[in-house]
Amino acid sequence: MAKVLVIAEIKQGVLKGSTAQLLSKAKAIGAETAVVAIGSNIELLIPNLVNAGSDTQYIADDPGLELFSAGPYSSCVVDAAKQFGADMIWFGFSESGKTVAPRVAAQLSAACATDITDVMFKGDQIEVIRPAIANKVMQRVKVNTKQLVAVVRAGAFDATEGISGTKNVVKLSSPAPDLKAVIRQIISEASGDIDLADANIVISVGRGAKDQAGVDLVKELANDLEAGFGSSRAMVDGGFMPHYKQVGQTGKIVAPTLYIAIGISGAIQHVAGMKGSKVILAVNKDPEAPIFNVSDYGIVGDLFEVVPILRAEIKKIRS
Amino acid sequence: MKILTTLKKVVDVELNIKVKNGAIVEEGLQYVMNAWDENAVEASVQLKENKGAETTLISIGGGDNTDIIRKAYAMGIENGIHIDDPALTKADSFVYARILQKVYEKGKYDLVITGKQAQDTDNGQTGIILAQYLGLPCVSNVISIEVMDEQHIKVSRLGDVGTEIVELELPAVVTVSDSINQPRLPVLRGIMMAKKKTIKVMDLATLGTSKDEVGGAAPKSEIVEFIAPEARKGGQKFEGDVAEITARVVDLLANEAKVF
Ligand SMILES: Cc1cc2nc3c(=O)[nH]c(=O)nc-3n(C[C@H](O)[C@H](O)[C@H](O)COP(=O)(O)OP(=O)(O)OC[C@H]3O[C@@H](n4cnc5c(N)ncnc54)[C@H](O)[C@@H]3O)c2cc1C
Ligand SMILES: Nc1ncnc2c1ncn2[C@@H]1O[C@H](COP(=O)(O)O)[C@@H](O)[C@H]1O
Repeated sequence: MAKVLVIAEIKQGVLKGSTAQLLSKAKAIGAETAVVAIGSNIELLIPNLVNAGSDTQYIADDPGLELFSAGPYSSCVVDAAKQFGADMIWFGFSESGKTVAPRVAAQLSAACATDITDVMFKGDQIEVIRPAIANKVMQRVKVNTKQLVAVVRAGAFDATEGISGTKNVVKLSSPAPDLKAVIRQIISEASGDIDLADANIVISVGRGAKDQAGVDLVKELANDLEAGFGSSRAMVDGGFMPHYKQVGQTGKIVAPTLYIAIGISGAIQHVAGMKGSKVILAVNKDPEAPIFNVSDYGIVGDLFEVVPILRAEIKKIRS
Repeated sequence: MKILTTLKKVVDVELNIKVKNGAIVEEGLQYVMNAWDENAVEASVQLKENKGAETTLISIGGGDNTDIIRKAYAMGIENGIHIDDPALTKADSFVYARILQKVYEKGKYDLVITGKQAQDTDNGQTGIILAQYLGLPCVSNVISIEVMDEQHIKVSRLGDVGTEIVELELPAVVTVSDSINQPRLPVLRGIMMAKKKTIKVMDLATLGTSKDEVGGAAPKSEIVEFIAPEARKGGQKFEGDVAEITARVVDLLANEAKVF
C-alpha cells in the first residue's frame, strides 16, 4: 500500500480545509495516510488532524517554529517522511508549501511537481497532471523516482464527507534554526477578514474601479455576501489593495462556488487564478473584454451603476 | 558584490498555444525572456547602479538565445554566459539546478537572483533547488532586496499571511516576484552597446561536466504528453438596460446556477 504524507496547512492557529481535501484524495487512491503539523502551540489541533483523515500524526511543536522559516520547516517534513517511509509527500497550495516542497525534494532526491490537479499510479509508477504555460496547456508527467513531492493546486481535490482517521501521535524533535536566513518579522496584513482560500464566494475588483471609492463600493457587495474580497494585480500595484488579496498566477489561486470579477479585463495571469471557480460572473463596460470568454454570466455595464443594483437585487432575492 | 542572474528563454504566453497529438504545435510560437527573469534582471541592474555590484547572466538551453541575452545587456547586465547542449532536451528543474551549480562554483558569486517561476514550466523550483545543492540560504517570492553590509542582505517576501522580513547571510539565492519592480525598457544607446558585447557560449563539456553528472540522462520526471485544457466557455452575456439585465442575472444566479 502506498504511503502518503500530507503537510497540514495551519494559518494563524487554524487548520485549513486543504488538509482534509488532500487526506481524502490519499484515502481515495487507497493509500495509508499520515500528516505532519509544524508550528508552535499546535498540539491542540491533534483531534482536528485525526478528523481530517490522518492515521498517523507527526507533530513538530516548538516556540522556535512560530514564525514560518523554510529551512526548519523542510527539516521537519524530511524527518516525518523518513520515519513514515512516505512514497508521496503532498503540500496544499500555499506560499510556504511552494517554497518548502523543492527543498524537501532536493533533500530526499525525490521528484517534485508543483500545482498538480491529479495524481495516479500506473503500475508502480506515479503520474501527475498539472497545468503549465499560464494554464494554457495541461501536462501529463511521469515520475521516474520512487518518491514524489507535490504541491496540490487549490480546489483540485474534494474532502470526503464523514472522513476520519486514527490517533497515533509521533513527536518530532525540534529542528535547528536557520542561522543564515533569519526571519525578523511577519507584517500580517490579514486581520480577521475572510480568507480567499476558504471563501464560498469571492469578489474581485479591478482597475475599472479606478480608485479607493470604487474599491469601497465593491467591498460593500463583498460584505453583503460575506464573500472573500480579492483583487487583480492592477489594483494591488495601484496601492488600493494589499498584496495578499491578489488573485492570479502570482497571487492566490481560488476555486469558490461563485467568483465575481468587477472591472477586470481577464488577462491570462488573472484567469489562471480563478478559472477553476464553479460559476463566474463578470461585470465590465467593454462587451469585448476577454473576461466574458470565461464567464458563465456577464453584465455589460458601468460598475458604478451595476454594483448598487446588484446589491439591491441580491438583498431582495435573499429575503 | 558579484551577482549571477538566471535567464530562461520561454514561449510567449500571450500568444495562442495549440496542442495536437500530445505535443505543442510549434507553428506560430514566439520565444521571449521569461517575465519573472526580467524582474531578476531589473533587480540586479539596480544593485549594480546603486551598490556597484558586478552582474553576470546565465541562460541554459533554448538554442539561439542571442535576443534575450542582448535584451538583458541592453537593460544593463555586464556579462553573459549561454550553455546549450543537445543533452538538455529532457532536462527538469533538477538538471538545470545542477548546471547552475557548476556555473556558480566557477564564478564565486555573492548573490544569485532567479525568477520565481519560468512561464513555460510554471515549476517555481530551480532557484530553490540550486540553493539546496549549494547549501546556501534562500528566500523565494521576494519583493524587495536591501543591502545591509558586505555579508548581509535584508529581503521581504510575500508569504501566506503577510510580508515576511528575512535577513540573509551572503552568499545567498533569492527568487523574485513580479511585484519587486517594473522592468525598464531598454533605451536605444543600451541596445546599440548590447550589440557589441560578446556572449560566452559553452556546452556541458566546456563547462567541465557531462550529461550524466548533471542528471540529464535520468531526469526525475518527464512530460509524457501535453493535453489541451478543458476550455471554459463564455456563457450568457447581457447588454442593455442596466437595471433590467442586472436583475435578470441575479435571478439566474439564484434559480439557474443556484449559488444563493
Ligand atoms: C508575470 C506576470 C504575472 C502576473 N500576475 C498577475 C496576477 O497574479 N493577477 C492579476 O490579476 N494580474 C497579474 N498580472 C497582470 C495582468 O497581466 C494584467 O495586467 C492585470 O490582471 C490587469 O488588471 P485589471 O484587469 O484590473 O486591469 P485592466 O486590464 O486595465 O482592465 C480593467 C477593465 O475594467 C474595465 N472597466 C473600466 N472602467 C469600468 C467601469 N466603470 N465599469 C466596468 N468596467 C470598467 C475595462 O473595460 C477593462 O476591461 C501579471 C502579469 C505578468 C506579466
Ligand atoms: N534553462 C534555464 N536557464 C536559466 N535559468 C533558468 C532555466 N530554467 C530555470 N531557470 C531559472 O529558474 C527560475 C524558475 O524556473 P522553474 O523552476 O522552471 O519555474 C526561472 O525564472 C529562471 O530564472
